[in-house]
Amino acid sequence: MAELELKPVGTRILTDKDNIVDMIEKYTKEDIGPDDVVSVAESVVAITQGRVARPEDFKVCFLAKILCRFVPQKGSLSSVYGMQSLMDAEGKWRVLFAMIIGMFAKIVGKNGVFYELAGSHAALVDDVTGTMPPFDKCLVYGPLEANGVAEEIKRRLGCYGAAVADVNDLKRALVVGASAGLDPKKLAHILIDNPFGNASQRTPIVIIKNYAAVERRTENLLSSE
Amino acid sequence: MEILVTIVIIAIIMAVAVWLFIAKQGDADFEFKVNERTEFKLVDQTEKTATFSCEVAFINKGSQDGTIMDAYPRHLLPYEQFDGVEVNSRMELTTALRTDNYFEAVIIPKGTGGIVIVTVTFTAKTGNIKDALQNLYDLSVDMPIDIVYQIVARTPWYIHKARMIMTCDEINRAMQAKGTAKWEG
Repeated sequence: MAELELKPVGTRILTDKDNIVDMIEKYTKEDIGPDDVVSVAESVVAITQGRVARPEDFKVCFLAKILCRFVPQKGSLSSVYGMQSLMDAEGKWRVLFAMIIGMFAKIVGKNGVFYELAGSHAALVDDVTGTMPPFDKCLVYGPLEANGVAEEIKRRLGCYGAAVADVNDLKRALVVGASAGLDPKKLAHILIDNPFGNASQRTPIVIIKNYAAVERRTENLLSSE
Repeated sequence: MEILVTIVIIAIIMAVAVWLFIAKQGDADFEFKVNERTEFKLVDQTEKTATFSCEVAFINKGSQDGTIMDAYPRHLLPYEQFDGVEVNSRMELTTALRTDNYFEAVIIPKGTGGIVIVTVTFTAKTGNIKDALQNLYDLSVDMPIDIVYQIVARTPWYIHKARMIMTCDEINRAMQAKGTAKWEG
């Protein structure tokens, strides 16, 4: 009986000279079956899309210097460059608005409002040290067209589905993009233990083996009950 | 008019409150303790080369976490002062040893620190390294080494330098300790 299995796949360091779909095909082609789902780390997709910036290249505004002070220091937006990158991506007035509303929401006990209002980039930017060399001295944005990337992976490899995921060791998993028919929450739950590992750029691909078979079996069990 | 005055007063109070918050919050503040470094030891020697290393502690004594984005040693031995050797230097964290002279960016939480290993290799331009370093010692040439480090924290990035001096006496002692010095002090 087929069981769910997570299979990390190592690659060389990928850069903006690489096409992520070509690379996934190159490193996984032999291992992929029709019941499998291919997941890829969002930071690596972003790197191959060239969505990387050095702190030295930012022009930091006064507002970024102020607002970053109100983000807890473990967060990527706690540095002026993380905050400036968010402002560049989403607009500084939107970020200011989200910060003010987020503060009021926190006072009344509701967390996470800032990230809901500040735009998708807010949760996806990785500050310096967020990725391994040679990108450790850069900020990495979230990927563009994550759903489209997932669809292209699925089409090229003939697998059951594909997903672009942001997972870390703090038990945080977010599926940023997925091919049609996949449940992002279910995938995030499967990936919650971070099978990509700490150095996710060296194992940026995780094949979820037998995903469809296990899903079919579960559905059959539920329907027979 | 009263409304306008009220708005201005509120704005001033808020600005002062934010300024006080930021002032109280502070920032990271790094120090490389070059004056407390260990003495250079000879770690490798060939006919043409001699390699020395020492350890330097650093600390983030500020009130916020900070990131060392990059760090490297910059040795200063102009040929006008001494032309007998070529010099290479590199630096690595004791917690992340590597020989490629690449310093991986690292977050240093407030109140903590670490240790870097500074490695210096002298290569004799002509003849052997013992004679070249003998000459360096005879001419009483000390070599400054700047530890250059780039920091980013709550404020925009900046680069600082901390200077240490690798003295010819120290090189002499290191060579003698290994029993390879041509001179006897």
